[in-house]
Amino acid sequence: MSSLSLQFPNSPSLSQEKPIDYNHLKLQVVEEVVEKGFVGFVQFALGYWGNGHYRCIDGPGTSEQCKSLCDFLLEPTEAKGNHEWIRISIGELLLIKGRFRISTFRNTLKIIPSLVFSLGNGFSLLGFDHMFSSPLFLSLLALLAASLMACTYTTQIPLVKVARRWSFVHSAEAISKQEIAETLPRASVQDLGVILMGAGYEVFLKGPSLYAFKGLAGRFAPIGVHLAMLLIMAGGTLSAAGSFRGSVTVPQGLNFVVGDVLGPSGFLSTPTEAFGTEVHVNRFSMDYYDSGEVRQFHTDLSLLDLEGKEVMRKTISVNDPLRYGGITIYQTDWSLSTLQILKDDEGPFNLAMAPLKLNGDKKLFGTFLPVGNTDSPSVKGISMLARDLQSIVLYDQEGKFAGIRRPNSKLPIEIDGTKIVIVDAIGSTGLDLKIDPGVPVVYAGFGALMLTTCISFLSHAQIWALQDGTMVVVGGKTNRAKAEFPDEMNRLLDQVPEIVESSSSRQSDSSSG
Amino acid sequence: MIFLTLEHILTHISFSIVSIVITIHLITLLVDEIVKLYDSSEKAMIATFFCITGLLVTRWIYSGHFPLSNLYESLIFLSWSFSIIHIVPYFKKQKNHLSAITAPSALFTQGFTTSGLLTEVHQSAILVPALQSEWLIMHVSMMVLGYAALICGSLLSVALLVITFRKDIKIFYKNNHLGNESFSNVFGNTYFFSAKNYYKSQSIQQLDHWSYRVISIGFIFLTIGILSGAVWANEAWGSYWNWDPKEIWAFITWTVFAIYLHTRTNTKLPPANSAIVASIGFLIIWICYFGVNLLGIGLHSYGSFTLTSN
Repeated sequence: MSSLSLQFPNSPSLSQEKPIDYNHLKLQVVEEVVEKGFVGFVQFALGYWGNGHYRCIDGPGTSEQCKSLCDFLLEPTEAKGNHEWIRISIGELLLIKGRFRISTFRNTLKIIPSLVFSLGNGFSLLGFDHMFSSPLFLSLLALLAASLMACTYTTQIPLVKVARRWSFVHSAEAISKQEIAETLPRASVQDLGVILMGAGYEVFLKGPSLYAFKGLAGRFAPIGVHLAMLLIMAGGTLSAAGSFRGSVTVPQGLNFVVGDVLGPSGFLSTPTEAFGTEVHVNRFSMDYYDSGEVRQFHTDLSLLDLEGKEVMRKTISVNDPLRYGGITIYQTDWSLSTLQILKDDEGPFNLAMAPLKLNGDKKLFGTFLPVGNTDSPSVKGISMLARDLQSIVLYDQEGKFAGIRRPNSKLPIEIDGTKIVIVDAIGSTGLDLKIDPGVPVVYAGFGALMLTTCISFLSHAQIWALQDGTMVVVGGKTNRAKAEFPDEMNRLLDQVPEIVESSSSRQSDSSSG
Repeated sequence: MIFLTLEHILTHISFSIVSIVITIHLITLLVDEIVKLYDSSEKAMIATFFCITGLLVTRWIYSGHFPLSNLYESLIFLSWSFSIIHIVPYFKKQKNHLSAITAPSALFTQGFTTSGLLTEVHQSAILVPALQSEWLIMHVSMMVLGYAALICGSLLSVALLVITFRKDIKIFYKNNHLGNESFSNVFGNTYFFSAKNYYKSQSIQQLDHWSYRVISIGFIFLTIGILSGAVWANEAWGSYWNWDPKEIWAFITWTVFAIYLHTRTNTKLPPANSAIVASIGFLIIWICYFGVNLLGIGLHSYGSFTLTSN
C-alpha cells in the first residue's frame, strides 16, 4: 500500500519521481512509504494549480482537471496490484510560496493545519513534516520523562515521608493553631477516637494524646501517576522500536504469507516463528442495514502453518480481530476486486474493478466491458458500477443507465445487443496485521494511570487531639478538601458525647477550668 | 413514531424548564432572594435531569444503540452531564455554588443542540462498523462527562478571575502584600479591613476551591476516557495512538489541566495564577470538542458536521 504526495515545482524532491505533463503544468508524483508511526488518513488534499486554489478530492467545487488527476492518482500501481485508499499526510503537502485564494470559511479551517505544518521548505528541516517521530519531538519526550523522574525523587518522596510520620502533639497551644481547631468542654479523647474510627480514620492513642488520619493514599498516588506515565512512555518506546505492521488487501479466495506483509518499525523488531504462517481468505461477506448501508463486514480466515496444516480458523470483523502467535489481524477495510460476468453465454469473464472516488466515505467501484472494435482509440463499451456487493448498476455504450442486477439473481440483461449475466461480485478484504511487544507494558501503564489518578482525588486529613483536664482540644487539617473539611469535623465533633459530671468531678472541673 | 414524539416533547420540556430556572436565578440575583423560588428551582433542575435522561433512554430504545454516536447525541449527553453536576451538591446537602454555571451551560447546550444548526443529525443514525463496540459506551461517556466537569471548573475559574480583576489592581496588591498569610488560610479569619474585601476574598476562596475539586473530578474522567479510547483503538485499528487531530487535542487538554493541578502545588501563590491556566483550558476544551470536528478529517470524523447547510 502506498501513499502519494503531491509535489509542486520549485520544491525539493523526495525520492524517485515520475514526471507527468499535465496541460501546462509539470507535476511530479512521487511515491513514498507512510511515515512510521504517523497513520492518518485525510479525505481531502489541497492542490495549487498556479493561479487558483482547487479542492481536489472532497467537497463541492471539484474541477475537471482535479477530478482527472484524482482518477489518475487512484489507479492501482503495477507493483502492488491493488490498494485500498490513499494516505496523504498533511505534512507532505507543500504549498508554493505565493498567493492562494481561500474560497470559503471551511477551506480556511482546512488550510490552517497544512499552513502550520508546511509553510516553506524550512519546516521539513525542523522535522515538522514528520512531527511525531522527529528528533525534536522525541527529545522533548525524553525531557518529560527525565523531569517526571526528577520531580518524583526530589519532591514527592520527601513529602510522603513527612506525611507518614506519626507525630503526637503534646501541647494544646500547638493544636489550637491548626486550620480547624475546636475545644470540647466535657469530653473524653477516647470517645473521640471511637467516633473517628467509625468515620474511617486510622486512630492512634497514646495517653492523653490522639492522632488520626484518613486518605494517606492520596499522598502516594501522585507518585504512582508519574510512575505510570513513565511506564506508558517506556511501552510506547518499545512499540515504536520493536513492532511489526502491515496492511494488505486480499481478494476472496487468495492467500498471503504473514512475513511478506509485515514490515519492521524499528531496530528492536525481530521476526518470530509465526511469520511463516499463511493466511487464506476463505470468504468475505458484508451485512447491510435495511436502508442499504453497510452494517458490518466479515472475513473468514484460515491460518496454515509451514506444513500446510490448518492451525486456526476464525471469522473476523471490525472490532473483532484474530490473534495468533503474537500476531493480531484486524479487519479494517474492504474493496471490490472483480466482477464475474457471462457475456453472450460465454465466460465467465473476470473483470477487475477499480475504486472511483466520491465525496466523503462512500465507496464506488467501476469496471468496463469493451464492445466492438477494441483496437480503435475510442473504445466504447458497457460500464458497470457497484457501491457494495449487493447490486451492480449497468450503463450502455452511450453512458445511459441500462439496469440494475443483483449478483446472485442470475437474471440476464440485454444492452446494445449483448447479453450480460452477473455471476458474482467478488470482494476483497482489507486487513491490518500487527505484532506489538509494547502493548502489555502500555496497558499496565494505562491501568496504573487510571487507578492512581482516581486515588489522587483523596484528601489526606489529619486530626490531633489532646485531653486537657476534662476538655479535649482538637485540631485538624487536610490537603485537598479544604471546604468540606470544617463541615466534616463539625459533624464528627457533634457526635462526641458530652460527659455529664457528678458532683465530685465538678470540683476538678472548677480547679482546671 | 411514538418515540419520536416523546423525544420531541422531552427535548422541549427540558429546554423550557432550564430557561425558567435561569430566569429565577436572575431574579434572585437582581431583584430579591425568594427562598421558595430557590427551592423550586432546585426541584426544577432535578426534573430537567429526569427529562434529559428520558430523552436519552428513548433514543436508546428507538435506535438500538447507546445514544452517543454522533455530535447531536453527544451534545445531549453533555447537557445531561451538566444537570448531573448541578444536582450532585444538592444530594450532598451542600450549598450549591455551581448552579450559576451549570444551569446556563445546560441551557445553552440544549438550545444549541435543538436549534436549526444541526438538523441533519437529529435523526437516529445507524452505527458504522467501527463504532459497533462496547467500548463506545465507556470511552465516549467518560470523555463527555470529563468535558462537562472541566468546563464547569474552568468557568468557575473564569468567574474567579473576573472577581479578582474587576476592581483595581490596588486591592489585589494589598492582599498579596500580606505575606505568607495568603488566601489559603482565610477560613473564618476576618483578615481584611472592610466587609467588601472579606466577601470578595471569601468568594475567591470558594470559587478557587470548587474549581479545583470539579476540575480534579473532570481530570479523572478525562484520563479514563482517553485511555479507554486508546485501548479501543488498539482493538479496532491495531494501534493505541494514531496522532489523530482529536487525539492530539484531547492530549493537549489533558496536559493543560495537568498544568493547572501542578500550579496549585505552590500554595503561596495567589489563586489567580492557576485560574488563568484553567481559563485557557476552557478554550482548549472547545477546540478539542468542537473545533476538531469542523475539520472533518481523521479517524474521529463521526462527530463532524458542516456549518453551511448543504
